[in-house]
Amino acid sequence: MTALSQSPVPASVPVPDAFEARTNATFEALMWALSRPGTVQTLPASGMAGLAEALVDRECKVFCDDPDLSHFVAFTGAALVPAAAADHAFLGLDRAEGLKNLEQIPVGSALYPDDGATVVAFARFGEGQKLRLTGPGIETSSEITLGGLVPGLWALRAARSRYPAGFDMFFICGTSVIGLPRSTLIEVL
Amino acid sequence: MSIANLTKAWQPMSYGFLDASAKRELRRKMLKAIAVPGCQMPYASREVPMARGWGTGGLQVTLTLLKPSSVVKVIDQGADDSVNAASIRSFLSKVSGAAETWDTLAASLIQSRHRIPEERLHAGQILVLQVPNPEPLRPVEPNMSIARQMHADADYGRLWLILYERIVRSGRIMEGAAYPSLVNGRHVMTPSPIPRWDVPKLHMAQHLTFLSAGREKRLYAVPPFTKVEPLVFSDVPFKVEDHGALTCHRSGVSGFYMNEIPQDNGGSAFEVSDSHLGIKAIRQAEGEADRIGATWYQNGQLA
Repeated sequence: MTALSQSPVPASVPVPDAFEARTNATFEALMWALSRPGTVQTLPASGMAGLAEALVDRECKVFCDDPDLSHFVAFTGAALVPAAAADHAFLGLDRAEGLKNLEQIPVGSALYPDDGATVVAFARFGEGQKLRLTGPGIETSSEITLGGLVPGLWALRAARSRYPAGFDMFFICGTSVIGLPRSTLIEVL
Repeated sequence: MSIANLTKAWQPMSYGFLDASAKRELRRKMLKAIAVPGCQMPYASREVPMARGWGTGGLQVTLTLLKPSSVVKVIDQGADDSVNAASIRSFLSKVSGAAETWDTLAASLIQSRHRIPEERLHAGQILVLQVPNPEPLRPVEPNMSIARQMHADADYGRLWLILYERIVRSGRIMEGAAYPSLVNGRHVMTPSPIPRWDVPKLHMAQHLTFLSAGREKRLYAVPPFTKVEPLVFSDVPFKVEDHGALTCHRSGVSGFYMNEIPQDNGGSAFEVSDSHLGIKAIRQAEGEADRIGATWYQNGQLA
């Protein structure tokens, strides 16, 4: 019986494949972005597709107003639905049409706050509207500027947020991401 | 579309044990948990090679976060070397290639059962607490649908009633662990069965905390810089355990949370509960270069 006395073969160290490494890093960026609202975190790749592959699968209902991204989202197995039924929404908030969609995005309820959707949009960081943020994740207050967004966005967000109901937002600029959870109070300066 | 791009190459095991769809679901729920601090988010708790009730909730959150550069520390009641902590830690490193540590300062990811380390956690660190019972309202409302409605209405009066009854009966707060705490001024959570000593460490902390109950299939979070206020009466202040004056009989450190060890003569000896803090103190006394980081408590007082 040699098998018992021999030292075991050294176990191979598991290595994440490219998909796992990418989605893990994307989630980590999103997690810290939402934990520290207003801070800029770095995604492993630019664009919204990375967020979709890290978060969305056939258990999700997704609204997407960009046909190219729709194709990618459909490939994850998620159902493509109208904005009013979505749990994840990839929106173009640089035009009035985006605001119309945001008006219909589910915000959940006090009973089921997790029904509030996750909204992803492009923005330009460091220009445009100045915002003061307070709330969980921010020690006192912080200021950011977000540009390339349709006017009326922040008024709509305030009108639709009835904490703990509300939607959570991620803004993407290249490979940078800023998270604004529903718990953040936004003051338009 | 072809078979080749619909399937993946064969692997003996998913990286980090959990499959990709389990991780995506946990990620979605972890984001919602951060967005509504202290609010319990349901998730489909997966099977892991460990019995429910032994930290499966914490394990799933940790497995979702793990990457090869992670450094994991696992604590069981303050100790790194108990069977439960050691096996979870070795499982985590086996399925992910992550490094193991006992040192709070070196860890990037800390999974813990019932203690928060005495050394301050810093901004990049994630604390994952294992939760047996996530529902603070269970002692007053066993029906979870009604409890959910009470959370929705922020109807927490009956929790104060429990505290009141304990104070009337015993003259002091009797909750030894899992002291109900108001998070972000809105949701009451149970901070898992950590002693009262550890509750103030969650208030306006630098680190991110996840609390996950595998058997109960719920997880919730306390983001950095979030208010965590223990429920109190204005005339009966919150008090942590009276351990400030105790000294550890092995390492000589004092002013930290201690385990009481009954002695044959009827008395008791005390041993610091955060075992690696004690180890560091002993090694320092022996002239080694161990560094004890800044601690939440100094001389038994919250700094």
